[in-house]
Amino acid sequence: MRHEGSLAAVERALKVSPERRLELIEEVDADVDALQEELERRGYSPESARRAALRRLLPAPETLAALEAQHAPRLGRWLRAAGIRGRVERLGALAAAILATMALLAAIWRWDNAAASTLLACSLVMVVSLLAANWFRAAASLWIDGSLPPERRRLLWARQVGLIVAAISLGGLGATWEGYTALAALDASASAAWNGVQRSVFFATLGFGAALLGLLGWLALIPRLITDETAEGRITALLVRSHPFRALRTPTRKH
Amino acid sequence: MQITLSKRINELLVLAVLEQGPAHGYQVAMSVEERTGGIFSFQHGTLYPILHRLEAEGQLRGEWSGDGRRRKTYRITAAGQTTLREGAEDLQRQFSVLLELLGRTHAA
Repeated sequence: MRHEGSLAAVERALKVSPERRLELIEEVDADVDALQEELERRGYSPESARRAALRRLLPAPETLAALEAQHAPRLGRWLRAAGIRGRVERLGALAAAILATMALLAAIWRWDNAAASTLLACSLVMVVSLLAANWFRAAASLWIDGSLPPERRRLLWARQVGLIVAAISLGGLGATWEGYTALAALDASASAAWNGVQRSVFFATLGFGAALLGLLGWLALIPRLITDETAEGRITALLVRSHPFRALRTPTRKH
Repeated sequence: MQITLSKRINELLVLAVLEQGPAHGYQVAMSVEERTGGIFSFQHGTLYPILHRLEAEGQLRGEWSGDGRRRKTYRITAAGQTTLREGAEDLQRQFSVLLELLGRTHAA
């Protein structure tokens, strides 16, 4: 029966941004209560008035689908309509992997296959790719799907921090190692030492640059995340207040 | 934009109710039911996609009021009034043709 549904279930099922979700459930909640009061004034018992109000106004799954189609982010709607939502992330990851591999191969070729440098560079490029992919997932959730749920948000942030630390560590390690080899080669060959310095700069730039971009990238998401968290807080407060049979437990206002 | 007849009727019903004055969503639902003698009614929240679509199209304006607990009130815009007038004329034409056809079929 419809009255078994609740605003909380509607809220959970709605795949739109928290701000939109808040507006939708706020509107439904206020209307359900007002209609219940109206029906009670007309002689309905509180229980039957509540049921009738919920049956009329609480969105059913088909209605939720229609609301989602209206309120989902425009980009997400377009990608889903074109049937390429799933492919976007895969194509982005593939393009990033191809670019990273090409950059890596070019660097290795210039470095005459120095084993330690190659290993470090491979690891660093992998970390940078993962950092970019992690940020992209968060951004895609926010601007394509409409929301980044709190538990997923925490997971992606923890990963981002871990990858930033890894990028700094690998960049620092690579720069130190290459600096050391440059110093060691200084007596033997000036060009070998110069190559070492270049590699040291490469590692430092890539590692610290990636970490900085990873941090700035996440900072760019912060305003939207704050807005979402505020809306989620208000949704929680509203859901605590709201209950399908609230009127049966608390006295209903009479006019 | 091609829309189905029932969708169009629902939109016109909402616009017709709001032409009488601003109203909350539930008041629109009740008014439609009462004014059509229960022939038309909105169940399971089907009213909201209609209200929101009309709002997005600029035919209605939704306004939030209240400090603590907010409520949304809808009012018809000039564009909505035009749609209502034109839609009613269209429907009248379509139904007169349909009724005429049905009348002939019945007579035959």
